[in-house]
Amino acid sequence: MNFLINLFIPLTISGLAMGVIYALMAMGLMLLIRAIGVLNFAQGDLLMFGAYLTYCLKDQLKLPLLIMWISAFLLFAVFGAIFMFSVYYPMRDTTWRQTFTITTIAASFILKDSVQLIWGTNPISVKPLIAGSVKIFGTKIAIQYLLIIGIAAVIIWAVFVIFEKLYAGRMMQAATQDKYAAEIIGIPTMITTLITYMIVVVIAGTAGYMVAPIFFVNPTLGTLQLSAFAGVILGGFGNLKGAVVGSIIIGLIQSYSTLITTTYKDTIVFLVIILVLIFRPQGIFLGSKISDKA
Amino acid sequence: MMLQIRNLHAYYGAIEALTGIDADIPDGSICCIIGSNGAGKTTLLKSISGMIKRTGSIKWNDTNLINAKPREVAKLGITHVPEGRHIFPGLTVYQNLESGTISWHGFFGNKPFQNDIETVYELFPRLREREKQLGWSLSGGEQQMLAVGRGIMARPKLLMLDEPSMGLAPVIVEELFKKIVEINKQQGITILLIEQNARLALEISDYAYVLEHGMITLHDTADKVRSNPKVLEAYLGKFASHGAEML
Ligand SMILES: Nc1ncnc2c1ncn2[C@@H]1O[C@H](COP(=O)(O)OP(=O)(O)O)[C@@H](O)[C@H]1O
Ligand SMILES: [Mg+2]
Repeated sequence: MNFLINLFIPLTISGLAMGVIYALMAMGLMLLIRAIGVLNFAQGDLLMFGAYLTYCLKDQLKLPLLIMWISAFLLFAVFGAIFMFSVYYPMRDTTWRQTFTITTIAASFILKDSVQLIWGTNPISVKPLIAGSVKIFGTKIAIQYLLIIGIAAVIIWAVFVIFEKLYAGRMMQAATQDKYAAEIIGIPTMITTLITYMIVVVIAGTAGYMVAPIFFVNPTLGTLQLSAFAGVILGGFGNLKGAVVGSIIIGLIQSYSTLITTTYKDTIVFLVIILVLIFRPQGIFLGSKISDKA
Repeated sequence: MMLQIRNLHAYYGAIEALTGIDADIPDGSICCIIGSNGAGKTTLLKSISGMIKRTGSIKWNDTNLINAKPREVAKLGITHVPEGRHIFPGLTVYQNLESGTISWHGFFGNKPFQNDIETVYELFPRLREREKQLGWSLSGGEQQMLAVGRGIMARPKLLMLDEPSMGLAPVIVEELFKKIVEINKQQGITILLIEQNARLALEISDYAYVLEHGMITLHDTADKVRSNPKVLEAYLGKFASHGAEML
């Protein structure tokens, strides 16, 4: 019994931690899908970029923690604006939506190559925010995992608050649901799109900052986005809450599957996705209708 | 005189959809524009609200709107209730109404609008009952009420309605048109009404324009237009809904 608990708790905690990281990415993906209608293939690379940038601020420039957080937040927001003005704005009048898919793929390459030019290709190790571990039911858990879960929970909650409780957030929802109507009644749709991009990059960058101590900071961090895609599919493509829950489930599946195999844990995830797509293409949640996309 | 349109041309890319429109919408009136499918009625409203490229002159009191963006037009008190309702499907009835205030409330603003909501609920009590329902779940008639209600939330001076009767049962259309008159008479809002249902539109209007192939082919008081033999034949006759060629 003790043996089971010792196994189960760490796997659950690390699964949850990775799950919320995927959830943050999936949220960003969903926000952009709703705002401009396409999947952002640079989502994982934004996370990777966030890991490098925070490494630079923290370990290279050695900024004090609070100043580092504030400047990272501001830089992410600014970078979100730059991202919007390079991958979206010049093409905004296109009649072929997939243009944006292609520009995000381009952005993905550019981000990967840029970090390699600036920081090289060697993986960089960074220290966790609070080193060490705590004992839960007699099992040692790295504090970083708990921090990730806590901070991610706050961010996810904050995003829902922004979109549900603030007037501006509801106007942003409106703009994503019907851009024509939004423009006609006078919602500044360019500003709502810009803010969406800024939020997305802040979220992705913060996720990168949080996973950096777990993985090495390296140019392939972006591949984590595959699990976020999986979470989006599991949650029923188009549904923000579903994407969050789906991503957390993906994190847990990955974690538990290490009991059987570490090599094929991603394979198991995609097996689950294929099964979902075959038997429940609308996602695992009951009643997730097209209209809930909103 | 409130809205004065002169030599208005409008373009979809290289296609010229309006070829020189002159029209006047007097303060406090109900004006209707009738015309068959594809005549350019929607394009005319889009030209006024800034949703399409256009040339010529659109004078609103002393402001020329010809280069104005939709947001600027909305701020001036010109509200366009688009064809096909275009309510926000994933927002509640209340949130849809709230969104109508954006033109004067401001994106980051914080002005109260409870009285405006109350006005809309008094006009359309059904919306109050459906307050917390999502837009997509409403019936067609309720969605149209919501679209008009959202327009009223903008505190318009000129309310432009694009085919509000489309797809609605005749009883509901009658009720809706009564409300349109009420909005005009009680709140003093000028109405520019676009309709394929010419009979009803002419009944409640003061002035009428007939639009064909991007041109105004007839304009007069609604009574005179109604008794015009060509209008009778083309828009009010047996095959009225087809709205055939007339002049
Ligand atoms: N988005 C568009 N692109 C190209 N042509 C259009 C577009 N919308 C309308 N048109 C053309 O402009 C003309 C007027 O259309 P519209 O104003 O929608 O007519 P109405 O509202 O009177 O039915 C039509 O010939 C139509 O084919
Ligand atoms: Mg039309």
